[in-house]
Amino acid sequence: MSSETKQILTTDGIPLEVSLKKAEKKNKIKAFLLVAPLLLFIIITYVFPIGDMLMRSVDDKMVTEMLPKTFKSMEKWDGQDLPPEEVFEAFYFDFQKLIEEEREGKLSTQLNYTKNGFKSIIKKLRRKSKSFEEGNYKEQIMSVHRRWADVEYWRAIKRRAPAYTYQKYLKGIDMYENEKGEIINVPEDRRVHRILWMRTLEIAFFVTVFCFLMAYPIAHLLATLPMKYSNLLMICVLLPFWTSLLVRTASWMILLQQQGIVNDFFVMIGLVSDDNRLEMMFNKTGSYVAMTQILLPFMVLPLYSVMKTISPSLMRAGKSLGGTPFVAFWKVYFPLTIPGIGAGCLLVFILAIGYYITPALVGGASGTLISNQIAFHMKSTLDWSFASAMGLMLLSGVLVIYWLYNKLVGIDNIKLG
Amino acid sequence: MKKISKLLLALSFLFSITTSAFAVTVASWGGAYTESQKLGYGDPTAKKLGIPINWVDYSGGLSEIKAQKEAGKITWDIMDVFAMDTINGCDEGLFVKFDFDKDFPAAPDGTPASKDFFTSMPSECAVGNILYSWNYAYNSDNVKGTPKTIKDFFNTKKFPGKRAIYKGALTNLEIALAADGIKPGKGGAKIYKALNTDKGVQRAMDKIKKLCTDPQGGCVFWSAGAQPPELLMSGEVVMATGWNGRFFNAAVGEGAPIVQVWDAQGLDYEYFVLVKGSPNEADAKKALAEMTSTEGLAGSAKYIAYAPWRKSSIAVMEKGEPWYKDGKTNMVPNMPTAPANTKNYFLVDPLYWADNGTELGEKWEAMKAGF
Repeated sequence: MSSETKQILTTDGIPLEVSLKKAEKKNKIKAFLLVAPLLLFIIITYVFPIGDMLMRSVDDKMVTEMLPKTFKSMEKWDGQDLPPEEVFEAFYFDFQKLIEEEREGKLSTQLNYTKNGFKSIIKKLRRKSKSFEEGNYKEQIMSVHRRWADVEYWRAIKRRAPAYTYQKYLKGIDMYENEKGEIINVPEDRRVHRILWMRTLEIAFFVTVFCFLMAYPIAHLLATLPMKYSNLLMICVLLPFWTSLLVRTASWMILLQQQGIVNDFFVMIGLVSDDNRLEMMFNKTGSYVAMTQILLPFMVLPLYSVMKTISPSLMRAGKSLGGTPFVAFWKVYFPLTIPGIGAGCLLVFILAIGYYITPALVGGASGTLISNQIAFHMKSTLDWSFASAMGLMLLSGVLVIYWLYNKLVGIDNIKLG
Repeated sequence: MKKISKLLLALSFLFSITTSAFAVTVASWGGAYTESQKLGYGDPTAKKLGIPINWVDYSGGLSEIKAQKEAGKITWDIMDVFAMDTINGCDEGLFVKFDFDKDFPAAPDGTPASKDFFTSMPSECAVGNILYSWNYAYNSDNVKGTPKTIKDFFNTKKFPGKRAIYKGALTNLEIALAADGIKPGKGGAKIYKALNTDKGVQRAMDKIKKLCTDPQGGCVFWSAGAQPPELLMSGEVVMATGWNGRFFNAAVGEGAPIVQVWDAQGLDYEYFVLVKGSPNEADAKKALAEMTSTEGLAGSAKYIAYAPWRKSSIAVMEKGEPWYKDGKTNMVPNMPTAPANTKNYFLVDPLYWADNGTELGEKWEAMKAGF
C-alpha cells in the first residue's frame, strides 16, 4: 500500500483492509470450529493409532536397554565363530540384572521373536545361573543347553542391538538382515509370508473381477427396469447385505459342502455320481463363491447409482447414428459407467484384501490370508511390533492401489452416488 | 504419541468398568464350558465367600489383557488361559506369581496342593483347572469297521475318506509321529525329542502331507471346537480330531453316533491365572483358591467331560457316580485321565510350543500352501 493513495476507511475509522481481515479471521475460526470435531476425531482414531503402529514396528529400544553391556562387548565380535569370553561375561551380568528386575521373561519373549528356541533356554539359564561360579562364564553358560553353544543364537542376539530397526518389515517378506548387514531370504521351508501376500492379492483380485462381472448386468437391470420391479430387485440385493456375515458364510458351507444341498441336487438329477461329488467347499472355490456373494452389494450399489444418471436417450442416439447395439454400448454407455466401476472395484478390492473370517472358514488349506497372520501375532505371540509392521504393509499396499487408480483413471472420476 | 494412545485405550475401557465394580471378573471361553465353570464352582464359591463372580467371554490370547494393562485400566481379575499363554503372560509380567502350597488349599486327606495336582505347573503364575484331550472320533454310521489306533486315522486304505484336523500345527505333528511308529514314551517325551530335530519335524509334516494329498483321504481344517462333531455328523469327513468334551456332548448329550478313540491322545491343560494389579486382586485370590479346591474342580465335571486337575477330585467323583448332570452317565470313564484312555498318550508340551510355535506355524503354512 503506497502512502500516496488514500486509505479507504470504514465508518468507524478503521482501514477497510484491517477490518476485512478481522472479519475473515472470525469466519475462519468459525469454520475451523465447525470442522474441529471431525478433525479431532480423525486425528484420534486414525492419525495417532497409525503413528503409534509405525513407532511400534520400528522401535526396538527395549532390548537395546536390556542388554547394554552385551551389545557393547559385541561390537568387536565379527559374528563368525562363537563370541569371546567377554561377551558371555557381559551377557551374564546383564542377565543377572534382568533377573533382579524380573524382566528376564520379557527378554526371552523378545529374543524368541528373532529366533525360535530362546524361551526355554533362558528359563533354564535363569535356574542354573544361580549356582554359577565366578569366572569362565562362556563354559558355564554353554553347558546349560546346547543352543547356548550354537553361534546362530548369538548372532540372533546381535541382530537386536540397534534401537531402531526395519527387521520386522523384512520379516514380513520372509527376509532378514544378518549380523553383517546383508539382507537374505529365510530358509525355503519357512517362506510363508510371500505366499500369503500373493494369495491375499490373488483372492482379492479375482473376487473383484467376479463381483464386477456379476454386478454390472444386475446394476444395469436395476437402473433400467420400471420402478415397481426395480424396487423388488433392490431389496433382493440389499437383504443379504443386512444379514450377518457369519450367517451367510455358514449357509454357503451348508450349500456347497460335499454332502451339501447343491451336491445332493446334482446327484439327484444324475449330473455327478454319488461317490464322485464335487469339491466346492474348503478350497479356493469356496472362498471365491462366498466372498463374491458377500461383497456383491458393494459393487452393485455404486454401479447402480452411476447408471441411474445415464439417460437412455444416449444409447438411442448412439444407435441412430449407425452403431450396432454393442458399439453403442461400448462407445457410449460403458465409458459413462467408468466412475461407478472404479468406485465399486476399489471398494470391493480394499474390503477383500483385509478379509479373513470367511476364507478361514470356507477356504480349507488355502484359507489363511495375511490378515490371519496379523491376528495371530496380535493374539497369540503378542509380537505387536511385527503385527504393526504387517498392518502398515497392508495399508501401504492399499495406498499403492489407490495411487495406481488415480494415475490410470483419475480419482475425481470416482463416484459413489 | 504413546501417551495419547494410552489415554485413548483408557477411555475405551472406562466404558467397560461400570459392570465389574466389587465383583470378581473371570474371563473365560464362553459357551458350555463357561456354563460348567459357573455351575460347577463359580456359583458355589460366590455363595460360600459372599464374593459376587462375574463371568465374561473372550476368545483367548493375551492381547486384551495386555491392552488393558498398557492403558492402566485392568478390568479382569482372573483369566482362563492355555498353557502357552500362562508362560508368555508370566514372562510379560501380566500375572501374579503363586506360592503354590500356601495359596491353594490341600486335599481333604492333607496332601499339599502341589502334590495333589497331576503334574507341576508350566509357570509360577498358573493353577490348573481342567485337563482336556485332543483325541479323534468317527461317525459309526459312515465308517466300515472300527478304527482303534492312531495308525487307523492315517490309514486311508482301510478307512477311505476325508479327515478333519486342526488348522494349525499344534498336536498334529505329535499324532503324525505317533502314527508313524514313534512310541510316545513317558508323557510323550520321545515324540518331543524327535520334534526337537529338523528331521523329526520334517517326518511329521511328510506324514500329514501324505494324508492330505492322498486321493483316498484328504483334509478339512477346523478352527472352532464345534466344527469336528459337526463335520462328522454331516458326513463331510469320516474321522476328525477334536476336543473330547465336544465329542462327548455330541455323543452323550445329543445321542449322535460318534465314537471316540483315545489312542495317542494329547492331554492338554487349561489354567487359571490371576491378573497382576487387578481391581479386586485380594478377593479374586480367595475365590480362585476356593474354585480350584477338591470339591470345586470336581463340580465342573458334572457338566462337561473335562477332567479336574486334582487327583482328590477324581476320588470325589468316583464316590458320587453317576456324576454327569443327567443322573445316569458315569463320568470317570469319560475323563481323558481314565486309566483305559491313557494307555498311550502324550502331554502337550507348552514349553516346546512356546519355543517353536512361530517357526513351526510358518513351516506348517508353507506346507499347506503346497497342497
